[in-house]
Amino acid sequence: MEEEKINSHAYHQELFNRLRKSVNLQKEEECFGCYIKSTLWWLLEKTKPKIPDLKKLISNSCSCLKNRVSKRRSKCLGILADAINKAAANRTIVKFSCPEGLNGFVHPIMQGDKLYGYIGSCYTGREIPSELLDIFASYTNTIVTEVQKELELSKLYETLRPRAIALSTVHTVHRLIGSTLNLNELLPRIARLSLQIMRANRCSIKLIDAKKKVLLPKATIDLRQKKARLKKVKVGKHAPGKAVKLGRPIRGADYLATPLIDEDVIGVITIYDKVDGKPFTAFDQEIMSTLAEQAVIAIKNAQLYKEQEKLTVGSIKSLAAVLDRRKPGTYVPRASFVRITLAMGQDLHMDSDTLKSLEYASILHDAGEIVVPDEVLTKPSKLTGKEYDMVKEHPAAGVEIIKHIKALKSVIPIILYHHENYDGTGYPKGLKKDRIPLSARIMAIVSAFEAMITNRPYRVSKNINEAISEIAKNAGTQFDPKLVDVFLKVMRRKDIRQVLENELRARSAEDAA
Amino acid sequence: MKTIQDFMKSAIHLKIIKFYHENQASIDTPRGIATWVNEERAVVKNALEDLVKLKVLVAHRSTSTTGYSYTRDKKIVARIGRLLT
Repeated sequence: MEEEKINSHAYHQELFNRLRKSVNLQKEEECFGCYIKSTLWWLLEKTKPKIPDLKKLISNSCSCLKNRVSKRRSKCLGILADAINKAAANRTIVKFSCPEGLNGFVHPIMQGDKLYGYIGSCYTGREIPSELLDIFASYTNTIVTEVQKELELSKLYETLRPRAIALSTVHTVHRLIGSTLNLNELLPRIARLSLQIMRANRCSIKLIDAKKKVLLPKATIDLRQKKARLKKVKVGKHAPGKAVKLGRPIRGADYLATPLIDEDVIGVITIYDKVDGKPFTAFDQEIMSTLAEQAVIAIKNAQLYKEQEKLTVGSIKSLAAVLDRRKPGTYVPRASFVRITLAMGQDLHMDSDTLKSLEYASILHDAGEIVVPDEVLTKPSKLTGKEYDMVKEHPAAGVEIIKHIKALKSVIPIILYHHENYDGTGYPKGLKKDRIPLSARIMAIVSAFEAMITNRPYRVSKNINEAISEIAKNAGTQFDPKLVDVFLKVMRRKDIRQVLENELRARSAEDAA
Repeated sequence: MKTIQDFMKSAIHLKIIKFYHENQASIDTPRGIATWVNEERAVVKNALEDLVKLKVLVAHRSTSTTGYSYTRDKKIVARIGRLLT
């Protein structure tokens, strides 16, 4: 109610400020003034003015009042007050004559039924015809309406613009957080954007555990400290816990906890300490609630994507396990090969999607061997031409197996061409150099290395160094020489060698036992 | 290297700086900023990148778009405040 009163007062003041500056009103005064010989125009902001108000308004300007004794001055002001009261009561223009034999008029400034003040003229040397006053009233009303419309438009602009900017911000945030499905990337991004929007110093995102008893810290950013504390919080405890328990925002002077609600509460975003030291407001709460609504969708999408990815990797691993069982006496150290492949990809600055394809391909590249008969796969002697033709079909067969899995679409060219040789002597198409996809050229090196250090029915495995030398020897013929350099660089890495050696050693110990 | 004062001589950079100084919580794309400052998107995009280099703005890059927000550096904000007055 108080706010309404303040707004109304501000509107009133602004209306008269604009009327005073109105060029049209000034022109009108000039035009009419020229005809009625008026030298004094005035605008009165008060709807029920008292005599001192009128005195202040015209005494200094009206030359006849200035020179008169106070008795005559009071009479003059009384006549003016009567005219104003009449204009207010009848809501119409009112003429008056002053004791000096001069004329004047008062016109009420209105919007609908609401009276805002008056415009008037004194000291007019000529009798003012009623028709002329009607024209004046009509023209003045048009000017007042125009000024009121301008004022309303400007008020509307002032109200809408910050909201439109806030809405645009929310839309941008929606686009920024919706563009990643990686939860580890998404949560810090939401935290950073929340801090930016709220102009706060700390943001913490906690997700609820499976038993729905504890909130686990997933992303905390504190702009004042390099390392942020990661604390678990029990549901119901502290602001974040309470927000989750009650399912509504909890606001204090220096914190604002907003629950992340999907069908159920999945977590909470808590913002602490505004940069300007001011308390969090209802508007902040509204903005954070909107942001939380968007964040929860992005988080759920990322969680679903992660689940789906786990399912895909699980299926791939199961398939790989089935394949491994068809090669008695062999053991493929998958974890190391995946690592070597990914390390090569990372060295080449491949993006995360391509790396993922490489990872899947490194597990599945020989999936097509399932179509090769056991007796061929396990044959201890040299393969006949027909048998070798069967083996050469395995890349295409591998593609047949995975082509129905949409998530593995990008893996197809890697599997299909990983037996192509750099000099064009490979299979299935005899592609050369850059015509072989980059990922397939990487896979060719890693799968050859894998084959060399793995026991086969027809030969004993090489040791790691022998296999590396063999790869180096075939740079430029079987393998892309630039990628061989990358492979050699990766194999010089202690961590990679360590994992590979440990994996092979563990298997030997298992075999011996 | 150009300074903040140098960029404030350019009308478009000045408009963008003013916009962010007045709306410090805003995060917007070049298209959005182009609307607020009433300029062409391509020109705005280049100006935004200039201001990122000067650390007046922060770029939040994603695969689909880039959002630009105002610096959180109190010294830069205060300096801009002084320059704008």
